[in-house]
Amino acid sequence: MIAMDDLRKQFTTGRGRQARTVVAVDGLTLHAQDGAITGLLGPNGAGKTTSLRMLVGLVAPDSGTIRVDDVDLRTDPQGVRARLGVLSDARGLYPRLTARENIVYHGRLHGVAADVAHARCDHLARLLEMESLLDRRTDGFSQGERMKTALARALVHDPDNIVLDEPTNGLDVVATRALREALRVLRDETGKCIVFSTHIMQEVQRLCDRVVVVAHGRHVADGTVQSLCEQAGSDDFEDAFVKLAFGGEGHAR
Amino acid sequence: MSDWQAMWTVFLKELKDALRDRRTLMAVFVSSIAMGPLMLVVLSSLVGKFEKRAEAREIVAIGIEAAPTLRNYLERQTFTIKPAAADWEKQLQDSKLGDPVVIVPADFEDQLAHGQAPRIEVVYSSANQRAEGGVSVVRHVLQGFDQEQVSLRLVARGVAPGALTVTRVDEHDIADTASRAAQLTGMVPIFVLMAVLYGSLNAALDTTAGERERGSLEPLLATPASRGALVVGKWGAAFALGLLIAVLSCMSFLPAQSMLRSESLAAMFRFGWVEAAWFIAVLAPFAAALSALMMAVAIRSRTVKEAQANNVVLTMAVSLSPMISLFNQEGESSWNLWVPPMAQSALMNRVLKNAPISPLDIAPSIVVCIVVTAAALAFVTRQLTKRAAQ
Repeated sequence: MIAMDDLRKQFTTGRGRQARTVVAVDGLTLHAQDGAITGLLGPNGAGKTTSLRMLVGLVAPDSGTIRVDDVDLRTDPQGVRARLGVLSDARGLYPRLTARENIVYHGRLHGVAADVAHARCDHLARLLEMESLLDRRTDGFSQGERMKTALARALVHDPDNIVLDEPTNGLDVVATRALREALRVLRDETGKCIVFSTHIMQEVQRLCDRVVVVAHGRHVADGTVQSLCEQAGSDDFEDAFVKLAFGGEGHAR
Repeated sequence: MSDWQAMWTVFLKELKDALRDRRTLMAVFVSSIAMGPLMLVVLSSLVGKFEKRAEAREIVAIGIEAAPTLRNYLERQTFTIKPAAADWEKQLQDSKLGDPVVIVPADFEDQLAHGQAPRIEVVYSSANQRAEGGVSVVRHVLQGFDQEQVSLRLVARGVAPGALTVTRVDEHDIADTASRAAQLTGMVPIFVLMAVLYGSLNAALDTTAGERERGSLEPLLATPASRGALVVGKWGAAFALGLLIAVLSCMSFLPAQSMLRSESLAAMFRFGWVEAAWFIAVLAPFAAALSALMMAVAIRSRTVKEAQANNVVLTMAVSLSPMISLFNQEGESSWNLWVPPMAQSALMNRVLKNAPISPLDIAPSIVVCIVVTAAALAFVTRQLTKRAAQ
């Protein structure tokens, strides 16, 4: 279970007179339950990536609390990271290592024994349909192949909580469907808590049990797709999202 | 997972990663391992040529047939007299002729007999280093001829030749063979210092700026491994590679010794297992500090290219500071031993000169290297999280 409460973060860019303060996250609250896929939906620049970076401890929040399975990030950041599987915005691989070596390396850093890491790697390769890739060097991998490898790497330690930052970016239809199917399996068969950040409506509609809508770093609304539509008084989820996120101003654009 | 396990995992991964970069590795091998001995062999063949010419005792002369007295003297001094080619002047200018040319006037004997001083010309070009080197030999032998003639004349007039000698100069060179050779082998420390640099450089940059550039730093920091363990593991790999290349570079001078063309240089250049071991002992702390420093410079860079540009200052410092001691006429100062890589260079030169090294000589550089390593690694650890999110 992931609980982020009243998170705030602002950045200062430039120095002296040119210093500007940008509010990236402004009181965001998100609770994601086990056995469910929670969508973090928001337009570009809404603060999704910053929030997820705060969750991993890469960016320290100005205020607010983050708890993963009741472990507080402030008191035990390593404990939080051990409970998370994160596919972040940056998903670089080591090009001179094979996909398997990339995946097992992260498994080892998560404290997984070598033989267990290899077994997990084979299991994930079957789940993500990437067995033929395993023993190839990742140099020259396609976008989809890289994403699958990065996802397997994020899941190698079998975390109870999975956080995916725009995982379908740059993927073709087949790869997107494969990913969706894999996430369903993880939710239904192993009861994982999955947080899925995106700005693509379709994905949210097809996959998420609950959606948290964020805009300008703030939590705007949350609920099921249907309840959000009802909340916005619209049959179309896209219209509902625009109303919720931009207060209807998006219509005019 | 314990920090030790994380360190070891990162160390092994980075080592494997670096060793798979065959192209870079080949370039490092050629520049750091083959180049030094190759230069030494080339240098020795040049020295060998000088020695051969000195042994050959040849004098290039024009008009020597008009001076049988001089010819007799030169031949008694075991010199061989060679005629000059028709275009000797051009050959001298173009550095094709390696000896100065002695021009004897046609009426040499006549002038000598009448007590007039015949003018002997010695032609050389100061732009032609080989020929310039031979001038002192020619000048010396001609002075010898002069001396002999003067002595003969004095004796003929009943004067003791000693009347013209007020003092006698005896030269003694007290440099032992090893320190004489160190003048030529002074470049060996430069080569091994550069070997350390090139050995570590790639790994130090790839594990810091490279991680940022390819976007693999953020996922790495999402693991529960402590930042310190990650940094020490990465540094360990860069340090190990620097040391490995340094060891190979030192070892490469062992067979090079047998290939030396100059016999006297080969006899003087003492570089055996003991010297190699000393070199490695001196280089190890330096490799540690340098790889940590390069990482500290690189972690601030977004790309490997930027990191390379930022590391130029370090590269220059490593390559130029041994030159300071090489050209320093005042000799080694005590503060040199506190400043890497001057300290390492000075210590290695002492090894080559077969001079004694006390623990007090080597201690300052070790202390400085440990402090630099610790400070640089602490800096990288602090920067790691900050830079990952940028």
